[in-house]
Amino acid sequence: MSGARILVVDDDESIRSTLAQHLAVHGFDIVHAGDGAAGYAQFTLTRPDLVLSDLAMPLSDGFALIQQIRQSSATPIIVLSVRGGDVDKVRALDLGADDFVTKPFSAPELLARVRAQLRRAGAAHRDVLEFPGLTIDVKRHRITSGDREIRLTPTEFAILETLGRHAGRPVSFDELIALVWKGAPGTSNDAVRVHVGALRRKIEPDPSNPRYVVTEPWIGYRFIAEPLG
Amino acid sequence: LSETAGGSIMSAGRSRVRNVIRIFISQLVIAAVCVMGLSLDANATTIGFAFLLTILGIAVYADLAAALLSSFTAVICFNYFFLPPVRTFTIADPSNWVALGAFFITSIVASRLVLRARVQATNADARRNEVEALYALSVDLFTSTNRLGALGEAAARALTNVGATGGGLVLFGTGASDREGGSPYDQEAVSWYAQQVVSWSGPQEDEIEDLIAGVGRHKRTLEFPARYGRDVYLPLNIGGTIIGVLAARSTTATLRALESAATLVALAVERERFLAAMAHVQAVREGDELKTSLLRAVSHDLATPLTAIALQIEALRSFVDDPRVVSGLDQVADASGRLRRRIENLLAMARLEAHSVVPRPEPTPAADLFRAAREHLSLIVQHRPLAITVAPDCPDVFVDPSLALEVLVNLIENAHQASGPGSPLELSAYRHPLDSDRVRLEVADRGSGIGSARASDDEASGARDSSRTSADQSSRASNDQSSRASADPSDTPRHGLGLEIARSLSVASGGQVTLAGRPGGGAVARIDLPAAHLPDAEEVPA
Repeated sequence: MSGARILVVDDDESIRSTLAQHLAVHGFDIVHAGDGAAGYAQFTLTRPDLVLSDLAMPLSDGFALIQQIRQSSATPIIVLSVRGGDVDKVRALDLGADDFVTKPFSAPELLARVRAQLRRAGAAHRDVLEFPGLTIDVKRHRITSGDREIRLTPTEFAILETLGRHAGRPVSFDELIALVWKGAPGTSNDAVRVHVGALRRKIEPDPSNPRYVVTEPWIGYRFIAEPLG
Repeated sequence: LSETAGGSIMSAGRSRVRNVIRIFISQLVIAAVCVMGLSLDANATTIGFAFLLTILGIAVYADLAAALLSSFTAVICFNYFFLPPVRTFTIADPSNWVALGAFFITSIVASRLVLRARVQATNADARRNEVEALYALSVDLFTSTNRLGALGEAAARALTNVGATGGGLVLFGTGASDREGGSPYDQEAVSWYAQQVVSWSGPQEDEIEDLIAGVGRHKRTLEFPARYGRDVYLPLNIGGTIIGVLAARSTTATLRALESAATLVALAVERERFLAAMAHVQAVREGDELKTSLLRAVSHDLATPLTAIALQIEALRSFVDDPRVVSGLDQVADASGRLRRRIENLLAMARLEAHSVVPRPEPTPAADLFRAAREHLSLIVQHRPLAITVAPDCPDVFVDPSLALEVLVNLIENAHQASGPGSPLELSAYRHPLDSDRVRLEVADRGSGIGSARASDDEASGARDSSRTSADQSSRASNDQSSRASADPSDTPRHGLGLEIARSLSVASGGQVTLAGRPGGGAVARIDLPAAHLPDAEEVPA
């Protein structure tokens, strides 16, 4: 994973340089740009493994950059947003961003998100998803926690599989309804909450301290455990 | 308007003179027919028809009195000059009575028909005038006015056009009664100073004030006979609410026309008030939008350097091994974290006040709030034990997650600052013991505790404390900061800015914060929040 190329797009010079410096210390190859237009030029030139982009930028903003990249590439994109910009987050996710980090963020938080996104690409098509303390065998429809098998309803299993395949990335209520209920009319966010609540009671070793599934306010859920291997 | 009364008197005098002239001319015409009949030596039948046609003409062009008098004159002439024996009055011959009856009937029928036609024509003219007046009023009201005074002028013109000699427009709800917050119609009488006289002409006697108050109270039109026409007081009714009174004095206009005028004026007044309210709302909205964009810019401009500082601290850590430098970096990180949280607090408060964000509650598991708070305060919790307990039957809380997180983070930080090194913090969530529709989150510590006086005060006042004056808050906050800087945590007072902000944000989340002492030492902050009501598992699609 070290050695992956990351494109940092932010109009603030101090953020760009400190991010570049910090990520370089952890072994990443950094390219950067000061706005969306320059960012897309760098993207086509260097083909990075991941993009970190601010949203509010002069000339061409982060939304335009996400749209342009998504027309030709599935490269993971993490958005750097400010607190209170929930509408912006949802819009960015709808346009194809994979995750967001709220400014001011800490370096470990950012690194965890970067690693999760770089790992996720490999986990998308596996039959067995392995996480610390939890294994999802998609083909055999089995969930195990250590030696213990956990019995889930088909809906709970489908939710867990969806969240596990998108580990580290927020999955919206709409996405869950589309993927698990196949967009069945009448399926509400509250229905999703009820099933996720039941799922958490079954898979979380300590429900007071969730290790796998957490809510992403106003958006949906995030599977927070990092995949093994 | 008062000139109209004098005009009416002059008009009545002229009418009398015209009637006398009409009678005189009609008598001359009868005499002329008689002379013509004598000179032509016409027979009785011919002259009888001639008189009949003449009387018909007089009935059409003059009036009933002239026609009847002419009939009488014609019968006398017919009897004396043309019926045998001529030059003699004969009343025994039935022909005389037939002629008199025919002339009278012709006079009366023709006069009545003509009179009815004239009345209908006059009424039609009056209706046309009223419609024209209403049309002019509607044009005045809805195209050229943009203030209440202009509405009053338009109403006065409309009253003149419908023949009123005085009156005006009085609006309610702009005076003392309004300031007292009550409807003027709830009271026995409406005070005159609660009314706004937009326009008035003619005298305003005390009884008129009472009449106007009565119309407002009883919500119905009052009519009284006047020397000329009648006085009419019309309520201005909008959706069952009387907003004022349109008074027309000495008017002969129909009630329907006056009510139409009142409806038009009421609509125009309402439109005026609506436009004024809309302008106010627009100004408020523009102000809010400006605040929102300013807050967005401020958020971005403050968050960006703080992010750079946090990243730079982490980058520097990887280059240094000296424990003194590492300790210094820890202190910088801690201070930067506190600064970040305080800025987030203030921005959250500012956003709420600017309505740039409206609290958006949604079902949120308490465990997720605790987890997010722990991540937010990672530097704090890595140096002290933190126990989290969520009761198995604890429902989700129905809150704005961002606000609830701000509240929780502030309370944890407050507990941290009041606790000694290594002293544990306990976070717990459970269904409220006395109210099953609420969830209680607790942040408990073994720190300084709170004084008994403060404890009872806080227990009793709860969220009401959020209404304390800002001066009080600032004073306590500064005392708090200074004592914290110099003293042992066990002596630290509990009422910092963070606690006050937590209380304010908690109220915005539909909750309340209370602080109480703990048996065995320390304190517990309790946040009571509404519980989410999710459907049962059987009720949702599988």
